[in-house]
Amino acid sequence: MAGPIASKRLWQDFDWLLFGAALLLCFTSLIEIYSSTMHEQSENYFLRQLAWVILGVVFVFVIAALDYHVLSEHIPFLYVLALIALVYTLALGRSVSGSKSWVALGPVTIQPSEIIKMVVVVALARYLSELRESAYMTPVQILKASAICLLPMGLVALQPDTGTALTYLPILAVGLFIRGLRPTALIGLILAFVLVLPVSWYFLKDYQKERILTFLEPERDPLGRGYQVMQSKIAIGSGGLLGKGLFNGTQNQLGFLPTRHTDFIFSVVGEELGFVGVSITLGLLAFIIFRSIYNAQTARDNLGLFIAMGVVGIYFFHVMENVGMVIGFMPTTGIPLPFLSYGGSSVLTAFIALGLVISVRRRRYVN
Amino acid sequence: MRQREESELLRWRSSFIGYVITAALLVLFFGFWNHQIVKSTYYAERAEQNRVRDITLLAPRGRIYDRYRRVLADNRPSYNIVLIRESSPHTLEQTAAMLSPGVGISIEDLLERINRRRRDPKFRPIVLKEDVSVADIAFVKAHRYELPEISVEVQPRRRYLGIEMGAHVLGYVGEVTEAELISPEFLDYKPGDQVGKAGLERQYNSVLRGKDGFKRIIVNNFGREMGKLLEEPSIAGNDLFTTLDLDLQRAAEDLIGERTGAAVALDPRTGEVLAMVSKPSFDPNLFATRISVADWGNLISDARKPLQNRVIQNHYSPGSVFKVFMAASGLEADVLNPLQTVFCPGYASFYGHTFACWKKGGHGTVGLHEAIVNSCNVFFYNVGKELGIDRISKYATTMGLGRKTGVDLPSEDAGLIPSSEWKQRVFKTAWYPGETISVSIGQGAVSVTPMQAAWAMGGMASGGRLKQPHLVNPEEIKKIGFNARELRSEQYQMHESTVDTVGRAMWGVVNEAGGTGARARIDGFDVAGKTGTAQVIGKQAQAKGDEFEDHAWFVGFAPYRNPEIVVAVFIENGGHGGEAAAPVAHAILETYYKKKLGEFDGDLLTKIAQASENKKVKN
Repeated sequence: MAGPIASKRLWQDFDWLLFGAALLLCFTSLIEIYSSTMHEQSENYFLRQLAWVILGVVFVFVIAALDYHVLSEHIPFLYVLALIALVYTLALGRSVSGSKSWVALGPVTIQPSEIIKMVVVVALARYLSELRESAYMTPVQILKASAICLLPMGLVALQPDTGTALTYLPILAVGLFIRGLRPTALIGLILAFVLVLPVSWYFLKDYQKERILTFLEPERDPLGRGYQVMQSKIAIGSGGLLGKGLFNGTQNQLGFLPTRHTDFIFSVVGEELGFVGVSITLGLLAFIIFRSIYNAQTARDNLGLFIAMGVVGIYFFHVMENVGMVIGFMPTTGIPLPFLSYGGSSVLTAFIALGLVISVRRRRYVN
Repeated sequence: MRQREESELLRWRSSFIGYVITAALLVLFFGFWNHQIVKSTYYAERAEQNRVRDITLLAPRGRIYDRYRRVLADNRPSYNIVLIRESSPHTLEQTAAMLSPGVGISIEDLLERINRRRRDPKFRPIVLKEDVSVADIAFVKAHRYELPEISVEVQPRRRYLGIEMGAHVLGYVGEVTEAELISPEFLDYKPGDQVGKAGLERQYNSVLRGKDGFKRIIVNNFGREMGKLLEEPSIAGNDLFTTLDLDLQRAAEDLIGERTGAAVALDPRTGEVLAMVSKPSFDPNLFATRISVADWGNLISDARKPLQNRVIQNHYSPGSVFKVFMAASGLEADVLNPLQTVFCPGYASFYGHTFACWKKGGHGTVGLHEAIVNSCNVFFYNVGKELGIDRISKYATTMGLGRKTGVDLPSEDAGLIPSSEWKQRVFKTAWYPGETISVSIGQGAVSVTPMQAAWAMGGMASGGRLKQPHLVNPEEIKKIGFNARELRSEQYQMHESTVDTVGRAMWGVVNEAGGTGARARIDGFDVAGKTGTAQVIGKQAQAKGDEFEDHAWFVGFAPYRNPEIVVAVFIENGGHGGEAAAPVAHAILETYYKKKLGEFDGDLLTKIAQASENKKVKN
């Protein structure tokens, strides 16, 4: 990391704890990806993931070295670029299980909708931090802020990739809440986002869930929705306190777990490492979230706070949805678990987000 | 300052989000606690159920052999398509819809089959299609990813090598019925098991049945075996060695041909059944797979009742064959002596009715010997009149008629020997003496099974010694640890002179000029016998065609002193006994005699059977 962006300060103010927690999760992820794909001859998921993690780490340092104010300055350009990329994906993307959400980039394919969330985070943060008039946002401001988020989100939804599109919402929700909403608007939003979605889901009848999900993504999961979640719950529950041991999960090794190296990686953790492993892993994820909140609160300015909190919103939503899904608290959607699920776009996005938070932290004492 | 306050507000709101996140994570944490600590035993069991599958290793039934250890029934491997609901990601309807086009069974039929077994444990395979083709197996293998709940299972399946030969003796197997399952005999059976349904398969089901084994394996999500935890091999059922002689069986079957009838050959010295034929026959292999509705319909709607074993399950008027027993009874009761004669003008009057002899012009003056050789009715009318119905009944029953012989096959018919007591009991009226006259020549209420005819004849020819007929020696069964009843042996009083007189006359029937049983004659082997021609309805119906043609009988034994073999042949609507039935008896006896002399060169079937047997021995 030589050059103008590297400095002594970078290393001193670098959030090693945050970074360390992420690396520990990646370590767990690599082991369990190896465990869940060791019988597959076709592709070496372990090595691919390792490559993505290394690339992710590079991104962390690059972005942490960048001043987020510089990013913010250029964000209109990046935002337009992002929209163009989404339109391009929509027009020429590769179709995977019914959604055009992937584009080929040389030897690999990536999912632009994942990484573009970071552009939205910074763009919204910039808009919200520049509002100074009053304690509460005006309806026009709310609309403008919403437009920044909903425009790319709409393009993702058109792919159609409802699951990923939904992950844009927490950026907006967290941003609006922190910037300040009148109690009526606030309560409405909280109910809709935190409570209504998951809780109402929990109280719906099975066939209603089935209908809603089939409506949202009819092509997904041809083997029956209940089967996947049941197998995941069996895997986790049978793991018990200490787990069956690495590479010993029968649900994992014998293939009963669906998409076990991607969406259901946490089930493998639950089965092979038990409640102890789950607690540590979940604890690390919680640490990253709370550390990011702390970094937001100690940021030098509101821009930094909004950026870090936007990341918090995304991390939290992914953790809540993915981990909730594997024990049946949440509907099955293809939302990856940050740092753990196999997949380049997911890993890169998680590390870019981490880079942003560290960048915010590094500049807390400036001026 | 204002800006400063606002910043504080933003930080406070961020903290608030932190609290919300904390609460949500606690919910998740609680969820894992609940799954991994509280309910972990339950889920551990579920994981084990996923991983472990018990597979029944179906035991082959014991083979059935003839007396020379030639195979009559064995097993062949076959494949069934089965559904294991436990490992199904689909609803039953989805499974049926996906499988239906591949195996050519309608969705409704598939669901019907599944539904019949819906109360079984979910891990137990449900057979959807039996004895499938290579194409069916290929379909299942090609779709194992889409249909992990469907697999192919090996099942040893019954094979009867003689196709229709001996079908009634061997019987057939089929799936145990729901009614059978609740009976104590089938206590340790489960739905889908094969059980003997008829014949020896039924009688010796517990001997022939093997003990199914099981294999506990580890499977992956596609049901593929990944490892084995435990195996208890199946134990094949015990082989059954019968007294049948395939050569005699074959001779009898060939000679009866397409006619309806029955033939049985016994060794009167031991009671061994050497041959037992009932025609028309059926192919018991049809039952080895689930029999098709069409095949079953054909079998049960056939007016000729091919499933019935006419040797033991049907009874017929014995006709003139009964005269032999009348003669013996008369001699024993001393109402008849060998020198006594009767004049036969072609008819006789008793109790105001005229009874005809079959020979219109009459036999003239006949003694006992001629009366049997020429089958004179009038002579025996007189014997019957002297004896009276109750003495006839007593002697006939003693000699083995009108009661079950006890042969080791299910559903034996008892036949009927009437008596005045019987008439009173059944019809609540007195016996008319005139009826006795009809009974004297084997008409009227008297009826016997071919098995009884052979048994009783053999007993009489052996001086009153009745050996229980059997296809399997109980000693053989005991040897392999099963309970078996001792063979019954009876000895009734019969003067040697009676045996001699009647036997001589029966030798005459076959060997003297003009005897009615000449077609059963074998040079060097003193065959004795008696023909019978039993009227079907009334005389007036005789002209109306084949259906009303008389039933033909021939019952005989050889050699006429100390007989080794006794044969009864019955041809339904066959016409005259001497013409229709005697040649069948001849074929059986000739085969027996040739074998005895070592002149029997066998035939193709025998050679094939022997070859297959040799191969098995080598294996």
